[in-house]
Amino acid sequence: MKKVPTVCPYCGCGCGLFLHVEGGRVIGVSPNRNHPVNQGSLCVKGWNCHEFIHHPDRLKTPLIRKNGKLIESSWQEALQYVAKRLSETISRYGPDSVGVLSSAKCTNEENYLLMKFTRAVLGTNNIDHCARLCHSSTVGGLAAAFGSGAMTNSISEIKDARVLFVIGSNTTEQHPMIAMHMLEAVDRGATLIVADPRRTKIADFATIYLQHRSGTDVALLMGIMHVILAEHLVDRDFVMRRTENFHAFEESLREFTPERVEKLTGVKASDIRKVARVYATEKRSMLFYAMGITQHITGVDNVKALANLVMLTGHIGLPCSGINPLRGQNNVQGACDMGALPNVYTGYQKVTDPKARRKFERAWKRRLPERAGLTVVEMTEAALEGRLKAMYIMGENPLLSDPDLNRVREAMEKLEFLVVQDIFLSETAEFADVVLPAATFAEKNGTFTNTERRVQLIRRAVLPPGGAMPDWKIITGLSSLMGYPMQYRDTYEVMEEIALLTPSYGGILHYRLDNGFGLQWPCPDRDHPGTPYLHRKKFARGLGTFLPVQFRMPAELPDEEFPFVLNTGRTGVHYHTGTMCRRTTVLEREEPEPFVEINPRDAEKLEIREGQRVRVSSRRGSIVLRARLRDNTSEGVVFIPFHFREAAANLLTNPALDPEVKIPEYKVCAVRVEPLEVVKRPKRPRRVDIEELRIT
Amino acid sequence: MKGWILPKNSLSYWLRQLRKDSDLIGPLRTPDGDIVFESVEKIHEIVLDPPASLPSVKEFFLPQYETVFVFKTDTVRPIQEKRKRVIFGLRSCDVAALRLLDRFFLDSQPDPYYSERRKNTLLISVVCNRPDPTCFCVGIGAGPYLKEGFDIQLTDLGDRYMVEIGSPRGRRAVREYSFVFQRPRKTDLEDQFEVQLSSTARFQQRINLEGVRSLILSQRVDEGFWQEVANRCIQCGGCVYVCPLCSCFTVTDRVYQEHIERVRLWDACLFKGFTRLAGGILPNDAPVSRTKRWFYHKLIYYPEGIGGFGCVGCGRCAVVCPSKIDMATVVLNIKRVSENAVSG
Amino acid sequence: MRSVVNIYTPLKGKIEEARELCPDVKLYRVRVPKEVHYYPGQFFMLSLWGYGEVPISVCSLDDTQTLEFTVRKAGFVTSAIHQLQAGDTIWLRGPYGRRFPLEMSYHRDVVVVAGGIGLAPLRAVIQYLLKERRKVKRVTLLYGSRTPDGLLYREEYDTWRASDVKVVLTVDCPSDGWRGNVGVVTTLWHQVEGELREAVAYVCGPPVMIKAALTDLFLLGMPADRIVTTLEAHMKCGVGKCGHCYNDGRFICTDGPVFTYKEIKEWDLTL
Ligand SMILES: Cc1cc2nc3c(=O)[nH]c(=O)nc-3n(C[C@H](O)[C@H](O)[C@H](O)COP(=O)(O)OP(=O)(O)OC[C@H]3O[C@@H](n4cnc5c(N)ncnc54)[C@H](O)[C@@H]3O)c2cc1C
Ligand code: SF4
Ligand code: SF4
Ligand code: SF4
Repeated sequence: MKKVPTVCPYCGCGCGLFLHVEGGRVIGVSPNRNHPVNQGSLCVKGWNCHEFIHHPDRLKTPLIRKNGKLIESSWQEALQYVAKRLSETISRYGPDSVGVLSSAKCTNEENYLLMKFTRAVLGTNNIDHCARLCHSSTVGGLAAAFGSGAMTNSISEIKDARVLFVIGSNTTEQHPMIAMHMLEAVDRGATLIVADPRRTKIADFATIYLQHRSGTDVALLMGIMHVILAEHLVDRDFVMRRTENFHAFEESLREFTPERVEKLTGVKASDIRKVARVYATEKRSMLFYAMGITQHITGVDNVKALANLVMLTGHIGLPCSGINPLRGQNNVQGACDMGALPNVYTGYQKVTDPKARRKFERAWKRRLPERAGLTVVEMTEAALEGRLKAMYIMGENPLLSDPDLNRVREAMEKLEFLVVQDIFLSETAEFADVVLPAATFAEKNGTFTNTERRVQLIRRAVLPPGGAMPDWKIITGLSSLMGYPMQYRDTYEVMEEIALLTPSYGGILHYRLDNGFGLQWPCPDRDHPGTPYLHRKKFARGLGTFLPVQFRMPAELPDEEFPFVLNTGRTGVHYHTGTMCRRTTVLEREEPEPFVEINPRDAEKLEIREGQRVRVSSRRGSIVLRARLRDNTSEGVVFIPFHFREAAANLLTNPALDPEVKIPEYKVCAVRVEPLEVVKRPKRPRRVDIEELRIT
Repeated sequence: MKGWILPKNSLSYWLRQLRKDSDLIGPLRTPDGDIVFESVEKIHEIVLDPPASLPSVKEFFLPQYETVFVFKTDTVRPIQEKRKRVIFGLRSCDVAALRLLDRFFLDSQPDPYYSERRKNTLLISVVCNRPDPTCFCVGIGAGPYLKEGFDIQLTDLGDRYMVEIGSPRGRRAVREYSFVFQRPRKTDLEDQFEVQLSSTARFQQRINLEGVRSLILSQRVDEGFWQEVANRCIQCGGCVYVCPLCSCFTVTDRVYQEHIERVRLWDACLFKGFTRLAGGILPNDAPVSRTKRWFYHKLIYYPEGIGGFGCVGCGRCAVVCPSKIDMATVVLNIKRVSENAVSG
Repeated sequence: MRSVVNIYTPLKGKIEEARELCPDVKLYRVRVPKEVHYYPGQFFMLSLWGYGEVPISVCSLDDTQTLEFTVRKAGFVTSAIHQLQAGDTIWLRGPYGRRFPLEMSYHRDVVVVAGGIGLAPLRAVIQYLLKERRKVKRVTLLYGSRTPDGLLYREEYDTWRASDVKVVLTVDCPSDGWRGNVGVVTTLWHQVEGELREAVAYVCGPPVMIKAALTDLFLLGMPADRIVTTLEAHMKCGVGKCGHCYNDGRFICTDGPVFTYKEIKEWDLTL
């Protein structure tokens, strides 16, 4: 039995764990006791992450679609075919007719290589990944305000904080190990403020819980800031010395009196005042947010409002004090850092910046495209309009994860050529012309960057099954066939190239990650110990900028026909589209089927019973699933997890986009709920009275 | 059973001999400083005073994931591990736990997989001289040293080990290499006794499970208390996975191209689906019923059914529980609450 | 420690007959290669490679080489079993669990209370009572189903009646031609002739029904140790190892599945 130290493949906490290997098989996991994030704990997904690795459904050979069927083929045939078809597409329609989706599940090295392949070999900037769908608002909003869009603090600082303000994050279920640190802080006397339209478990530990209406986050935050301003709780010195544009911003708050905000959000004015006072007056205040903030058409505004709040109170740039977007996927931070985005290279160096572009052109020895590329959702549009002809998708499953699936499906059908690289035959892979079998986290070396910017090593524990190959090897193989040889002995050589081209990763090299628990970027050189918290002494962009925002209502509001607000998200035992966890016995048993959470009072009005099948429809589609009566969703709101292909929540969601970063509004759309199969309960005869029959 | 003396210098030789026909498992330091039990390549790298292994020794007898049958063209083949193992560096609590697990798995309807592994494994445990802050075996009689039930128990006397033999298997492992062992002198026995005393004194917590058992049985712990405990639980299953005395498993079939594997996996009563009935009925939907089930099983029913608490005080649940509702914490809280109730 | 036989290895059986009793319920007669001795109340783990194992009560009596099982399509494994037909192979291991204490019924009136698929294990009880008909006094079967279509073993009622068993049927949702009772079984106590206090009851059905029947019978004066039921639980092994069926200190599979109401109360089992 060998125990290989590595990192959990599920969420952005990035817990350290050991894979237990015996006879070439992973047969178990155990937590790492010294790891700064999980300290010997794991959540149920982590504890069970060994099971899918050897699942019989794993893809083992490349598949090529012939006469409508996916047929097994050799690597050589498959890669040559892909190379040929991609080259043809490019020569016929130009490089921008190809789109690439990279993956927040793959390593930094793989994201880097795919990004390089897209830009240098295919010659397009059309590369994006699921971060678009979760935290592009963060990248946009925080970059504008501070110059850097990542979690400012470290997870290990949480337990020493005095105030934790959690907004739009179901932390206990989605970032369990971060919730563990929060719980410890609460045990030590910290004040926990939770704001969320859906009452999740973390609210049970809150000192103050605010249940605002979906999509009214900006108003709520403006209200809080209004109070801070009115009650002179602003950190004047901080605002003067470290920020700019305060006055324009101050103006924008004027109308947001707590009373008006109460009308907009449904949160009592007195609670708004209380939160403002607590948050502003305590030092060591940490702010956390997740998809509840970002997945709105006002996603960027929401983030900007939060940035304004921390600057207003000076709660940033110190340990235990900052703004912390909780990144979902294990390596979504890394995939962004690696420039798997249409507008930036690694480390957020803009493709439109000639200096940056020249640097990459010199390193890669190719002319690089100048215009920013298409985002995920724009690729769907482009495919529908016939501008995008081919797609290359690495480890993503847009056919379950993107909004308005019917349209996505239509778009995929219109493509002339689709390549999917994955570990299982996902919904998207079933659509592909070529499927390339990839390796899991247990079968390759590389790095993941967790939500606190910690770059950590994952290590190969076993060999991939059959002919499956690590994604990075697939990319280098394909690239060579397309006339651009990429030669790396192993991923550490890729990392070296990344370090060379990326200031914030300058000192991050595999050999430095071998002992200990990785390095937190920025880490500019080989002697740098990494950065536990950001914006110390000055912001990444110099002065922090206050960015006034406007309050806007969600794109689609409930009306007569679609009277409910639909909120989507994840459950604690499943992960995203479920390709891994739904192949894990215990996880699948916990939540085997799709459900919709509905408030019992609404259910009563609609005559829906617990467990009954209901139809939920929006303007875009409709699904059938079982009702679960829970009062943690407020009246007028329903919640559906999006893991289940049997009833894909994203058939319903609205692809309305944030104008700036194009994130879709997953958290709000209007739906109708109807009970199915109304079982008529027969009138029961009166129960015979036991007393009458009792034998005396 | 006087015992033998093994000079530390000879330890690696002895282990090397034992390894000839077995897989030697021992505590090794990982690159990031944790210590895990795994196959030993270089015997000199073995950590001689390791913390409690994580997960517990259970992983070597009831593995986290184990193929139990292979079914192919109408025939069934049980997959039984025949490999011999020597596990070095175990703690007393693990050995004590195995003794109880033996009763559970072997007394009636013996489990063939557990039985085979048990038969093929030699345990060399070491008396703890450095209990972890989470340990409380001392109050339960499961450590820091054992009087019986081990194969071979070592006590670190500085430059040598006192070697005690507790089973025929242990005797064989010593007798075959008897030339590296010496007869103990009187001073060795005195030293051994001193170690026993001093290690017992090193525990940071003393926990009386018996007292808590009677508090629960006399209805002095109310539902509200359990409700609060359960409310903190995030159902990670960690406590069950690491506990050497939690043995629940589930079974699932995996269909490969040419064959089918029947697999058994660790499971945990903290999951709501653990007791799901056909038709989706969840008898234990309320988290509190599951939390109570875990504590009641260990504190009330284990003693009745197996004859010992379902806890050996290894403290592992305190290491893994993200919510700080491990056995020791909860038991101490029960005590505190009931004392307050009495005095208030 | 000696090597032990593998208690989990299933035996290969052959399905001799697969008969649909009503929508979603089928009766299987399975032939096994060696003699198996079993009693009413005991169950077998039916095993289908690639799907899994499920506990199913034996619903026949005596014949040591052919056994009968009644299987309701309830989920993953049972749906797969429903695909099987005569001539197919099915794997099984058992028998497991305690049997119904049937000697208890000698020289007494017997009430058999069943709901839905719960009649399956009780069919074996009835067959036993028929065999020992002279030793027991009056026998009443109170049987409830959701719909008339769902009533099991309809063609056997006449045989039972012929042996002087009073068969009382009731349904939740009557169909048009239905002339029996309407409502839950626990509305039928007055149909039992004689004194319940002196009788013996064998009860099986869905959990709510069991709960109601046990308390009713007890309140009606029947001593708790003569009210016998069988409990259902999630089971993976059938031999007290996997822990799923563990219920307040007892394993339903080995300490049960048959329990008297007295035991249920004494051991504080959750119904
Ligand atoms: C003693 C006893 C006797 C019985 N006798 C009969 C009888 O005579 N006739 C009869 O029809 N029924 C009987 N039952 C009930 C029968 O066992 C269940 O209906 C059957 O187990 C349903 O199995 P399933 O796989 O079809 O249903 P499912 O609901 O699919 O699953 C059954 C069990 O497996 C679990 N499970 C579900 N999905 C998974 C998964 N993906 N991985 C792991 N576990 C999962 C469930 O939680 C459930 O407990 C008896 C039960 C017991 C305990
Ligand atoms: S918290 Fe996240 S990283 Fe940690 S074990 Fe759970 S899923 Fe994995
Ligand atoms: S309950 Fe906790 S302390 Fe007790 S044996 Fe189990 S893991 Fe160890
Ligand atoms: S370790 Fe703690 S949180 Fe996890 S299941 Fe056990 S009690 Fe619950």
